[in-house]
Amino acid sequence: MAAPSLSTTQQQRPPLYRDAVVVKWALQLFILFLVLFAMWFLSKEAGDNLKAKGISTSFDFLSIDPGISLSEGIDTEPDTGGRALWVGMVNTLRLAIAGIFTATILGVAIGLARLSDNWIVRKFGNVYVETLRNIPLLVQILIWAALLGGLGRVALDNGPINGWLHISNKGVSIPRVFIADGFYQWAVVLLIGAVVGRWVFKQRTLKKDQTGEDTFPLGYAAAVVLVFGIIGWFIHPVFGFLNAPLQAISDAFGAIPEIAMQLALSAVAILFSARWIRNFFAERRTPAGTARLDDDDWFRVIFAAVGAAFACFFFLALWPGLSSWLINSFSDLFQVLADKFGDTPEGNARNGWPVDAKRPDIVQAGNFPNYGPAGLNMTLGFAAVFFSIVLYTGSFIAEIVRGGILAVAKGQTEAAQALGLRRSQMLRKVILPQAFRIVLPPLGNQYLNLTKNTSLAIAVGFSDLVQVGQTVGNQTGKPLSVFAIWMAFYLACSLTISVVVNFFNVRLKIVER
Amino acid sequence: MSISDATTAVSDELAARDDMIVCTGVDKWYGDFQALKGVTATIKEQEVVVVLGPSGSGKSTWIRCVNRLEQHQGGTIVVDGVELTNDVRNIEKIRSEVGMVFQQFNLFPHLTVLDNITLAPKWVKKQPKDVAEENARKLLDRVGIPEQADKYPGQLSGGQQQRVAIARSLAMEPRVMLFDEPTSALDPEMIKEVLDVMKELAQQGMTMVVVTHEMGFAREVADRIIFMEAGEIVEVGTPEHFFTNPTEDRTKLFLSQIL
Repeated sequence: MAAPSLSTTQQQRPPLYRDAVVVKWALQLFILFLVLFAMWFLSKEAGDNLKAKGISTSFDFLSIDPGISLSEGIDTEPDTGGRALWVGMVNTLRLAIAGIFTATILGVAIGLARLSDNWIVRKFGNVYVETLRNIPLLVQILIWAALLGGLGRVALDNGPINGWLHISNKGVSIPRVFIADGFYQWAVVLLIGAVVGRWVFKQRTLKKDQTGEDTFPLGYAAAVVLVFGIIGWFIHPVFGFLNAPLQAISDAFGAIPEIAMQLALSAVAILFSARWIRNFFAERRTPAGTARLDDDDWFRVIFAAVGAAFACFFFLALWPGLSSWLINSFSDLFQVLADKFGDTPEGNARNGWPVDAKRPDIVQAGNFPNYGPAGLNMTLGFAAVFFSIVLYTGSFIAEIVRGGILAVAKGQTEAAQALGLRRSQMLRKVILPQAFRIVLPPLGNQYLNLTKNTSLAIAVGFSDLVQVGQTVGNQTGKPLSVFAIWMAFYLACSLTISVVVNFFNVRLKIVER
Repeated sequence: MSISDATTAVSDELAARDDMIVCTGVDKWYGDFQALKGVTATIKEQEVVVVLGPSGSGKSTWIRCVNRLEQHQGGTIVVDGVELTNDVRNIEKIRSEVGMVFQQFNLFPHLTVLDNITLAPKWVKKQPKDVAEENARKLLDRVGIPEQADKYPGQLSGGQQQRVAIARSLAMEPRVMLFDEPTSALDPEMIKEVLDVMKELAQQGMTMVVVTHEMGFAREVADRIIFMEAGEIVEVGTPEHFFTNPTEDRTKLFLSQIL
């Protein structure tokens, strides 16, 4: 028997159960079916059980007065359940953002300290990290709460520094800095200063390129902005005239007919999509012609086109109110800006300070004295959670930073040294840019952890989303709905952080073959 | 025949040149292991010295001591009249005169080829950007890869990366070049392109100290060969002397194992 030739084996179709494409798709469909069935089954069972036990899953409590008051936040007496949860979310975000910011600075400092040549600094870093990352966060929160709670009661006199600082078992209170009468006029000068500073920055960088000397562009730019800030502090009333042009722009927006706005928005959507598709094809164009597009690529192109079509449909047919809303909000925006220049509503010229500060004052004297709204208050609960979460996460970030710097190959240091770069230059130009790439993904993880760990604030009664949700859920008897909101909120936070971190991660990727 | 006798076997013409690197009794320990045992050698201006020896014999350690990547613990090292001490100014001076090429290339992966080469000229020598870049392009031309200027190291082959590394060192206009096994991490077909660049450099009169296992290169290019074993210089001589008529038993054994 002659062996079958190659061409005949290729033409023969294998039986279905051996065809890789058929098997792949069949398996995918089967698993999809299983997943859908499991979801349907579980939700049906859960629904039936909940109904049998009389547990409601509706969200109507969001618009009902929960009858609770919160310890702190943008609104301590929320009039609906939704408002109460919103206050909790804002408190959680405040804690998370302040925590991420501070923990990063602290962690980087400690991480560098652990690599220091100085024995004392290095040992301090070691002790810090080994202690704080090994104590559970909840314990740390309770310790901080106990420590802060041990402070003295609110003193009714002016406090240690003539009323500028109050420390007591109710928290820490410092003056609130707020924008005053002439702020926007001053901001114009600052803006001009920033533009000039940018120009100076570029000039100094150019000079470095042309002559080779060190020109400290960042220092020069900062000095320029500072000078403009100081001058602007005194001359800001000059910019009162801006009221008129802004008013004119506001009026112009108000005069735009709705249909023009609708068409403009649609045009923008189409232009945006067309540009995206054009860039997409340009990216895949090689000297040998356009690269072959796979299914995924076509899907993206089609998605972009459909997106534009959908946006046009939305602007033109579905929501005509949107265009008038946009017109109104733009004209309102410029109206608000116009109101910030020229004369105050009382007719006085705006020549007060751009920025002002108010000392915290004590209200409700008596058995339970408290700080008034004039100052900036860091309450006991916030402080306990904030300090512990920053110190705890900081210890992990320190380890990540240390690891990232150590992970840069030793050869890089040697090459930089052999070329004669100084230590600071080597760090700035060679080590840190590479360490940053290594550090970024685990740093993102720590940010996620920190955000989720804020939920432990319930231990000290700080009104974060979990604590408020718990109360609202108990009051209204809708725990499941509250669970859903919790999950959605933390998921949204986590995804936002992930997207931001990934964005930088992709941008900083080292080019390889 | 003692070491000093072998050293005197250098031609009179070479002996008349200025000293570039003078090492006297250099000691180096790693813990209680002595990596260098009183290494004494003089390298003349425009001389090409190849350092041979089995692995672990202290070849790399020695040349890494010359630009302070390793700190020697005994003896003296003088480069171009400047003694290598703890004085940071001396270290900077010596590093600015000594270029080094590594086994693993050690290019900066986050910078383009051009930026790799211009980084040190811009920040250490304070050269204007366009001057540094023009220099860099000339050097890339010299090492034979002018078209790779805007690529990243990760996009180049090993041989190309090593040539960029040589160009990066040359950009600082060193008076001495140290090569630490420059071809050991390369695929066989890429070794030649790197050795060709090094040969050209030698012909142009660069002072070079080359640690390598490339016997062909040693035979063809070296003015002198230094053979090291167990942290000591065993034998010094011209390639002809070394390959045809070695005097020391340890040298003979080494040559019998590799040739």
